[in-house]
Amino acid sequence: MPRIVLEHVSKRFDKFVAVDDLNIVIEDRDFITLLGPSGCGKTTTLRMIAGLETPTEGRITIGDTVVFDAEKGINLSPAKRDIGFLFQNYALWPHMTVYQNIAFGLENLKWKREDIKSRVYEMLRLLKIEEFVHRYPAELSGGQQQRVAIARTLAPAPKVLFMDEPLSNLDAKLRSEMRTELKRLHSDSDSTFVYVTHDQLEAMTLATKICLMNKGVLQQYDPPLTVYSKPNNIFVADFVGNPTMNFINAKLSEVDGKHVLSLFGLYATFTANMNKPLNRENVIVGVRPEHIAITDSGKINATAYSALPAGMETTVKVKIKDALVSSVVFGAIDYKTDQAIKCDIISDQICIFDANTKELISQGSISINSL
Amino acid sequence: MKSLNKNKTIFNRIGTFFTKPANCMLVIFAILLTALTLYPLLSMLREMFVVHAGIEKTLTGLKKGNFTLFHWTKLFKGGEWSMTNYWIPFLNSTLLGFGGAVLGIMIGGVIAWLMARTNLKHKKLIGSLFLFPYMMPAWTMALYWLNMFQNSKVGAGIVGVMEGLFGLCMPEWFVYGLFPCIIVTGLHFGPFAYILIGGILQNMDATLEESAVILKAGRLKIVRRITLPIIMPAVLSTFLLIFSSGFASYTVPMFLGGAVRFFTLSSKMKAMFNAGYTGQAYIIGSTVILMGWLILTINQKYTGRKRSFTTVTGKSGQVSFIDLKRFNTPISIALIVIITFFSIIPLIVFAIQTLLRSPGVYEFSNLTLEFWLGRGESSYKNGMVGGILFNKTVWSALGRQFLLSITAALFAGTVGLFIGYAVVRRRGTKLAQYVESMAFFPYLIPAISFSTIYLAISTTKTFSFLYNSFFLIALVSGVKYLPFASRGGINSMLQISTEIEEAGIVVGVPWYKRLFRLLFPIQKTSIMSGYLLPVITCMREVDLYTLLVPNAHFLLTTLLLEFNQTGYDQYANAVTLLIIVIVLILNSVSEKLTGASVAKGVGGGASFGGN
Repeated sequence: MPRIVLEHVSKRFDKFVAVDDLNIVIEDRDFITLLGPSGCGKTTTLRMIAGLETPTEGRITIGDTVVFDAEKGINLSPAKRDIGFLFQNYALWPHMTVYQNIAFGLENLKWKREDIKSRVYEMLRLLKIEEFVHRYPAELSGGQQQRVAIARTLAPAPKVLFMDEPLSNLDAKLRSEMRTELKRLHSDSDSTFVYVTHDQLEAMTLATKICLMNKGVLQQYDPPLTVYSKPNNIFVADFVGNPTMNFINAKLSEVDGKHVLSLFGLYATFTANMNKPLNRENVIVGVRPEHIAITDSGKINATAYSALPAGMETTVKVKIKDALVSSVVFGAIDYKTDQAIKCDIISDQICIFDANTKELISQGSISINSL
Repeated sequence: MKSLNKNKTIFNRIGTFFTKPANCMLVIFAILLTALTLYPLLSMLREMFVVHAGIEKTLTGLKKGNFTLFHWTKLFKGGEWSMTNYWIPFLNSTLLGFGGAVLGIMIGGVIAWLMARTNLKHKKLIGSLFLFPYMMPAWTMALYWLNMFQNSKVGAGIVGVMEGLFGLCMPEWFVYGLFPCIIVTGLHFGPFAYILIGGILQNMDATLEESAVILKAGRLKIVRRITLPIIMPAVLSTFLLIFSSGFASYTVPMFLGGAVRFFTLSSKMKAMFNAGYTGQAYIIGSTVILMGWLILTINQKYTGRKRSFTTVTGKSGQVSFIDLKRFNTPISIALIVIITFFSIIPLIVFAIQTLLRSPGVYEFSNLTLEFWLGRGESSYKNGMVGGILFNKTVWSALGRQFLLSITAALFAGTVGLFIGYAVVRRRGTKLAQYVESMAFFPYLIPAISFSTIYLAISTTKTFSFLYNSFFLIALVSGVKYLPFASRGGINSMLQISTEIEEAGIVVGVPWYKRLFRLLFPIQKTSIMSGYLLPVITCMREVDLYTLLVPNAHFLLTTLLLEFNQTGYDQYANAVTLLIIVIVLILNSVSEKLTGASVAKGVGGGASFGGN
């Protein structure tokens, strides 16, 4: 069964390092998203696993087969890796009809004509595009083209399916529709999916595991909720989540065996739920917007800088002393500009990052000391 | 009262219309271009039905200017006259166009594929060498062919390089006539095909081929089933463009056909003019125009419909090259050798030819610099005194050609720029469409026919002041290069958003300031190339001028023809070399300054036939 292993994989273009010493294991039937800002090496990684790009160093194994090994000089062509690839722009052949597009791969596998036909129609039914069978790609809408591309990729029933930002060319509504379909498709088929995206929401909602990269270096490789709630470093914390996490500069000290944080000109006691030494002075406290609660019983005095009600939730920019933080409140609540409010930090997943290394050093809860 | 109001509204509307500078320009250009393109065409039509001075008067017994169908009946009544003067040249033109296009596409296509899709070695060298034959005028290749293969057994009996050095005597069909014409045309347009097809291949979404690789299609199958069908429209359009150039070509068949009386329609037309059969010459010329028009219509229809093929965008440039493995070195070396034979060697051969005291004798004792540096001690009595570097005729011809190039470029570049502005601002209106297509119109007409048209008006009474004038030649050149210039102008103006000008309008900047201070500076380089490219093209132009010059000594290119026809090979070769060198220098200057070169410019320009 296809388990994909990348060991010390690097890719350099001249002097530019696109991917630097990447080690990941993709388990069978996983739905992995490669996530990161543009230029972070995620597409290059995907193309290297698929065989469209040759790594500079390292070893890639798909299932029991070593498909690439820089030392041994193994480099299997994409055709021999038993994979499917869904391209960002679909890459439908413009001179072939929908039927011909889907059938092409099966023809190459030397399938019988009848088998091809029944498989093509099976795919067409699956993706609900039967009525377009004799159309050319140019005569289809973006969403329909997307379905044809998926059908073409799935037709030979690849064990591993690679997708390179397949939804980025669709409008918002279609995109969320296709997300649902892709997730269904993953559970219906027994394939492994590897999916490239720069959209953190897409990564969060689709993946069983997120592989977050920056500048060619792996930042975190964990299930989405772990990435969200326990980010390895400030980059990850900042990249995942919308509105983004609040980062507050603070000083950490130990008083009477308790960790005391000084932030916003206030003092707060930090109770760690991780067993890591906290021997730094300069730290950055990371608080998710939903963990800043606006309540009358709050211990922090603040003013509402602006409120952006979106119906289901309201994003409030809260001014505490000279700092601006965002808070997300459920429901539509409109605050007047500069209205005085009280708030509190209410989670046990507050992150403490080292201000120098930007790495996560601890997590826990904060309670503001009463004045 | 009511009608008065109505009149007032109309006047007001006209008034408002002309407050926009773009509208004023469009009206002016509409009138100007109609006069410069439609009118000459109509007067040419007239020439086909009237009697001209000279032999036509005698044959018809009619007065000059009388209506007659004589030209048509004579040319098409059948018999040997029709055969030798129309149908055989027609066939030759067709075969030349067809053969040249097939050869050009084969050469250009293979090299384009090798360059764009394989890991071929020395790509840079091959790429730049290969563009040489296209930067050099087509006729230099014809001259080169003669220099190499002419021999004592055929034609004028001058010994060429092959015979002189290796004793190799090629048969007549190899040296003169259709075969060498096809080879030369194919070699000249090979790079053109390479530019167009290579461009498509490079821009073609690599994922189209990658997805086929992943679906387990073999290399050959991918080329056959994916790549070829997708670039087919581009190939076809390249084919048609080369075909129409080959069909209309004049200089190449003139150099390579004269000795065996091989005529294409264009060279036949010239011969008919010389023989005094002006009316029939115009009929032959109009055939070439019709064919050019037909081809471009087909081209536009076909590529217009399937254009979507090549506009698919995506992550290109990530294409993985095919590994040629052990064939890589042999293929690249073979290519370099072959291409050198048609790019560097011609220059050397031209140079050697100019150093031979008696042509065809390839010995050290026969070398002389007299044809370059001589000061009159030459035994030749051809009106030339001494070497070309000290010759007044050559220098004044060169000077005139420069002046001509600059005038034409100024005209085409400026008009093109303003057309670009006006058309883009009023895009979608009928007037803008009319101006755009009128500016493009001269492209449909092959150079030699184009000069025919202008010859026709310059011989009418009203425009007799144009006859044999520098102004006429400059005007013809300017109008002929207008399609490229206006296309360039339109493209460069399309890249500037209207907001930039509107920001100027809002703060009350007058229109000329908006153009010269805001818009033009933004597109400086592309505008500069709009001026430079016509200069280069003009420097090497022959077809357009051969009918229009008052005498052969007028321009450098026509002087060259004269030398060639009168058998002064050394001079002809020296002038050729001079022209090649000037063109190459200008081209590299242009490439340095603006990034535009004849190769790119003409390639890009020609491809707009399909847009």
